[in-house]
Amino acid sequence: MGKYSLGEFEEVLLLTVAVLYEDAYGIAIKEDIETRLKRKVSVGAMRTGLKRLEKKGFLESEFGEATAIRGGKRKRYFKVTVYGKNALEKVMEERQNLWKAIPDMSFDFKFI
Amino acid sequence: MRSSLGINPPKIPLRLLKWFCSPDLIEDVEGDISELFAQRSAKSKVKAKLLFTLDVLFLFRPGIIKNIQINKGSNQLDMISNYIKIAIRNALRYKGYTSINLLGLVVGITSSVLILLWVQDEVSIDKFHENGDQIYKVFRNMKQSNGLVSTTATNPKPLGDLLREEYSEINSVASVSWLMDMRFDWAEQSSEEAGRFASPEFLNMFSFPLLVGDKNTALDEINSVLISKTMAQKYFGDNWRDMALGEILKLDESIDVLVMGVFEDIGANSTLDFDWLIPAEGYYNANKWVEDWGNGSFHIYITIPEEAKVSIVGERMLSEIKDHTQGNPSAGDEESILQKFEDTYLYSNFVNGVISGGRIDYVRIMTVVAIFILLVACINFMNLTTARASRRSKEIGLRKVMGAGKKSLSTQFFFEAILMTTVAVALSVLAVTLLLPSFNVLVNKALSIDYTQFQTWIYIVGLTLTVGLLSGSYPAILLPTLNIIQSIKGGLKQPSFASYFRRGLVIFQFAISTLLILGTAVVYKQIDYVLNKDLGLDKENLVAITMEGDLASRLETYKTELLRLPEVKSVSAVSGNPISYGRSTSSANWEGKNPSDGYEVNVLISDEDFIKTAGMEMLVGRDFSAQLTDSTNFIINEVAAALMGFDDPLNKDLSFWGLNGKIVGVVKNFHMQNLYEPIAPLIITCYDPSGSPLLLVRIEDNTGAVLQSIEQITKELNPTFDFNYQFIDQAYAESYENEQTVSALANIFAVISILISCLGLFGLASYSAEQRSKEIGVRKVHGASVVQILLLLSKDYSKLILLSFILAIPVGYYVTQNWLNNFEFRTSLDPFVFLIAGVVTFGVGVLTVSLKSYHAATINPVSSLKEE
Repeated sequence: MGKYSLGEFEEVLLLTVAVLYEDAYGIAIKEDIETRLKRKVSVGAMRTGLKRLEKKGFLESEFGEATAIRGGKRKRYFKVTVYGKNALEKVMEERQNLWKAIPDMSFDFKFI
Repeated sequence: MRSSLGINPPKIPLRLLKWFCSPDLIEDVEGDISELFAQRSAKSKVKAKLLFTLDVLFLFRPGIIKNIQINKGSNQLDMISNYIKIAIRNALRYKGYTSINLLGLVVGITSSVLILLWVQDEVSIDKFHENGDQIYKVFRNMKQSNGLVSTTATNPKPLGDLLREEYSEINSVASVSWLMDMRFDWAEQSSEEAGRFASPEFLNMFSFPLLVGDKNTALDEINSVLISKTMAQKYFGDNWRDMALGEILKLDESIDVLVMGVFEDIGANSTLDFDWLIPAEGYYNANKWVEDWGNGSFHIYITIPEEAKVSIVGERMLSEIKDHTQGNPSAGDEESILQKFEDTYLYSNFVNGVISGGRIDYVRIMTVVAIFILLVACINFMNLTTARASRRSKEIGLRKVMGAGKKSLSTQFFFEAILMTTVAVALSVLAVTLLLPSFNVLVNKALSIDYTQFQTWIYIVGLTLTVGLLSGSYPAILLPTLNIIQSIKGGLKQPSFASYFRRGLVIFQFAISTLLILGTAVVYKQIDYVLNKDLGLDKENLVAITMEGDLASRLETYKTELLRLPEVKSVSAVSGNPISYGRSTSSANWEGKNPSDGYEVNVLISDEDFIKTAGMEMLVGRDFSAQLTDSTNFIINEVAAALMGFDDPLNKDLSFWGLNGKIVGVVKNFHMQNLYEPIAPLIITCYDPSGSPLLLVRIEDNTGAVLQSIEQITKELNPTFDFNYQFIDQAYAESYENEQTVSALANIFAVISILISCLGLFGLASYSAEQRSKEIGVRKVHGASVVQILLLLSKDYSKLILLSFILAIPVGYYVTQNWLNNFEFRTSLDPFVFLIAGVVTFGVGVLTVSLKSYHAATINPVSSLKEE
């Protein structure tokens, strides 16, 4: 995987953060994944993923405003770093290369 | 705010989250799930709560959970368990060394604990009174014309009344009598009991709890009596609680007294002891002489609540007696002083009217001895540990190589010392418990350790830490400084100051031991001197019988009866034990006396046979004689003769108490007080022996049978009273009980101190013999004899012991001379005593070293040289 090691769930998280742009904090990310991808995301899984991404340097975060609905706790907003963007592009590139390399015959199911 | 929005996430999961969640994440994680919860609870609160809990549970995963920090950056638990393991291994590997070390510590700690228990008991005496710090005792200083002042606790009764009425600073005044024997009869029960007369304030001033009766009124009625629990049980049986109150006891076969209360038995920690209390008023009524300002009677205690007022009261009352006795014929030059009641036990010696120590001296001496012994034991530990450090040099080196800092190495050695001390203290506690009964017999106390008390354990832990830290301190400072490379190579050379320091410690140890032995020798010598001193009378085979009831009035019959016994040589009635006597007058007049001088002269009332019976010698003149009418003639002692300033005292006029007569003889000085006191002037008269409380009987040797005959005669004449007697020499020896106890203690602990020192020396000697085993082998191969090797090995330590002896001499001289100076009559401090102390210490020390050295010197050189 080289320099940019990125798991599947991590990729989803990273992309979602990018999608949400200025509004990427915990619950928003969770809800976005849940609506867009129709998959269940637990707070725990998401948190660990975000933390790992931040540690790898793909994400950076800062505290935002506190709201009453959060019991007075501040939101942590995430932002994709340049490094993170490179990683996403790299992953996409690799996939595209793979797609390109598939011979047409591979998906010709008529002969089976 | 939260509640207004209705967001109340369940508390328990939240708390769980807060507990495990990493502190970096907790804020926004908590915020997130709270937000979620808020959204969900809009639909269903129950479901929201459930989901919230699930969320929290899913958060419990690596990455979210905080780092477990227990051992982060420190491994102290591991190191401590390693220290314990290594310490135990080392202890078991060198069993001899460990047992020497332990034995020294155990003996030292046990001895010090025993001594300190004794000290604590001494210090605790009279300290149990609730208002103890406000109670003061009044003393009377009687100035004598020879410049000396004698101090007494007996005070004129009117002084007490004056203090009570006119001194606003004083809260209450209690008058208490000396201990008196009285006969109590009730039904069949009849016995003599010792007790005191006391004024009603007594019970409120002191904390002697009443088991039955009201302490506010119990001493108000003149014919009442309070008795102790023991006495109540004796008279009224087990049912005394119901029986005693209101019963009437017959006092001395004459007066009826009503039991108004029963008090708890007086413990050994009270100097005021009594089995009964009777209102002082009763005594005053029967003895009108107490109303005179010139006569000392009861002891007076006062309470002054404000400490600042004490000196004011003291100054004001100073001359009260003198002011009230002007023109009184029996008045002397007297001053009243105050002493804190709690101090009266420990500070009981007055020299010229000023308190100068007392038992506190012994308390201090023994405290110092306890500390010394503990110190000697600690030094043993230090010396043995550092001397044998080379054994552990590889371990120390390796630890350093692996990164152990000096600090952790010293922790290790402190730890080992504390571990060793813990074992030693545990063994000592056992030893103390086992030894306490015999120690109690020795010091005549009832000491005990109460293990249920928290305080005891604080002391035990404190002792462990003190001894552990003290004995571990030097190894912990020295050993970590050793050079790594050298210690790993094994050829460890300790810095030269280490061996000097070790020698210094040995010198210190032996100096202390020499000092203790010296002290013991001096105390022993003084006590021997005291007990065997010629007191000026023959105290052997002299019996003093207490004359009770009306025995004294039938004196002539009694004496004749006794003299019929072949073993009885002579008999004489006397007004007190001649070697413990103090009854004085300041109203004596003689030819040529300056009327303005106040002289305090002792008066002894006896009969014609006194000088002969007591075995005294006349210097000049003649003894009293039954043939001549001598009832108004006097015999004086040498001191009195000197005081009165006669060249030839015979036939000079002398008068006191309304008696006018002539001096017929001068008796050689004899000791009327203990040897702390100078001999006081004395007049002996035989004008009215029938009031005498004592009968002196001079008997022949082998007294068993004659005492029975004497008792029989006494009982026949005086059937209702017990036969009380004492041998004068025994009573004399008992009056030095304190000194004898301290002497016995000092004896034992001097031996212990030298024992511990020798243990240490033995350890050091065996170590150096071992170190030099190759040298010894080579020397032997070259023809050295055993004696030469012995000398070689013993030389070093012998020098140290000699040096310690030289150091101990001046200190010992100063301390012992100081102690001896307390005595008016004392033994001399001759060099012989020092020689004994030196020889004993030196002998024992050298013997110890030689023992080990001999072993080393006789080893076959082959066995020591074959290695390598």
